[in-house]
Amino acid sequence: CPGSSPPVTSHLSLPPTVTSEQIEHLHRRFKQLSRDQLTIRKENFDSIPDLEFNPIRGKIVHAFFDKRNLRQESDGLADEINFEDFLTIMSYFRPIEMNMDEEQLDRFRKEKLKFLFHMYDSDHDGKITLQEYRNVVEELLSGNPHLEKESARSIADGAMMEAASICVGQMGPDQVYEGITFEDFLKMWQGIDIETKMHVRFLNMETIAHCY
Amino acid sequence: SQGIIQRDETPMEKEIARLHRANFEFSDIFYFCRKGFEAIVEDEVTQRFSSQELVSWNLLTRTNVNFHYVSLRLTVVWVIGVIVRYCFLLPLRFTLAAIGITSMIVGTTMVGQLPNSSMKNYLSELVHLTCSRILVRALSGTIHYHNKENKPQKGGICVANHTSPIDAIILTNDGCYAMVGQVHGGLMGVIQRATVKACPHVWFERSEIKDRHLVTKRLREHVADKSKLPILIFPEGTCINNTSVMMFKKGSFEIGGTIYPVAIKYDPQFGDAFWNSSKYSIVSYLLRIMTSWAIVCNVWYMPPMVRKEGEDAVQFANRVRSAIAHQGGLTELPWDGGLKRAKVKDTFKEEQQKNYSKMLVRNGSIG
Repeated sequence: CPGSSPPVTSHLSLPPTVTSEQIEHLHRRFKQLSRDQLTIRKENFDSIPDLEFNPIRGKIVHAFFDKRNLRQESDGLADEINFEDFLTIMSYFRPIEMNMDEEQLDRFRKEKLKFLFHMYDSDHDGKITLQEYRNVVEELLSGNPHLEKESARSIADGAMMEAASICVGQMGPDQVYEGITFEDFLKMWQGIDIETKMHVRFLNMETIAHCY
Repeated sequence: SQGIIQRDETPMEKEIARLHRANFEFSDIFYFCRKGFEAIVEDEVTQRFSSQELVSWNLLTRTNVNFHYVSLRLTVVWVIGVIVRYCFLLPLRFTLAAIGITSMIVGTTMVGQLPNSSMKNYLSELVHLTCSRILVRALSGTIHYHNKENKPQKGGICVANHTSPIDAIILTNDGCYAMVGQVHGGLMGVIQRATVKACPHVWFERSEIKDRHLVTKRLREHVADKSKLPILIFPEGTCINNTSVMMFKKGSFEIGGTIYPVAIKYDPQFGDAFWNSSKYSIVSYLLRIMTSWAIVCNVWYMPPMVRKEGEDAVQFANRVRSAIAHQGGLTELPWDGGLKRAKVKDTFKEEQQKNYSKMLVRNGSIG
């Protein structure tokens, strides 16, 4: 649009395959969500009908304002985010590129898992406790009034036990499992390629016919 | 319309079953996370409330979102286009529109003085048709009517998809209808008051509109009188950008009588007819329309439909809507046009969540 151009993003660590077209699309989307303001607040996500369907909508919106995801030094939640922050969060969902080496792939994977970890760890203490995990399961099942709280709890407990067995191995009878740390979380996902499941891939834009 | 992200159309059940083999529950969040992000980047509904994007530029800056400075030659062509549109076409169209509206007001007031008779009806139809035609010329409208044998008959209800306020003029260009709407102030109000003297249009006061039963009753009385012109209704309730048809409000389908569906599809290459009421006022919208190249559209008259036995108003509304969408080549969305301004109803949300939890129960994860 002739009037406004998207902000300079060269200082962000975006891979070279993110084209300026895609950034423009995202910028337009940002302006639509923010109603032409410079920042987005939580309320702006209310205008997306497709998102309302999502049981973990709250956590997803929360993730956009989580300072840990925004790579800011401080902790807690931001009130509003600008386009740069929006892109930062979007970058967690970029697909793998063919030319990534071992180290890059590993970092890539860790980033995505860290994002997921933050979603579970709602009190920002670096551990996913049983209660935090229960909250997530309850949210996922929140739409079904017939499912009792007990069932949700038993699912959560079962999953935590499984996680504990992977991370800590055999526990003594009086050992208390405090919670899943990020290292344990990484261990759980060893061997499973999450990179292919946690990405949003842009369609190849047809370039406009040149009028020469 | 072309989306911008690649979507995996695998149904939820299959994808979650796949993930479950990997790692129970912790992985379910992946699916919803991704879906959530996809929705944030692009969603089916909100893009219907902004104008359709064109594949190739039609030399109007308003559709210039994807295009930038390409070459000097193109810019020169564009400048010539601007001069032609603003200095020649606009004054011409404005004059025509003024003539059309004045004739409408004067003509219908004069016809309104006559006592009720078949002569009055004939003259009223003549005045309405002529002025409509002048107004369509004022917009440089080129309309192709298809299947004219299905044109709405007296005592029926004509139902069409809504893209802009000029939809009504597009239809009245080819036939006479009884309009339904709210009384406005200003110029619109003057036109409404004049035309209702000549022809029994149904104008509601603002207070009356709120009372659904009163509205239905009045419309029912109108339809019952077989000598009255067919009513024209736009059941979506708001302007949609002409790539899809949204939920039809069931009120129009509770009145009874025969429904004559009509599909209207505009060609976006010559001018964007969609009125984005949250972005543009009616005046700036009309200005844009009058400085476009032309308004080109296709109108399909479809065979009449009646409510079947055991079908309720909502099902009937959906059936009509499918037919219109199919004919006009528009996609069908189950969403309410009211989402332009309001939030999703809770009943819709629960459906998805119920599906997910039903799946968990089936997979034996409970108990």
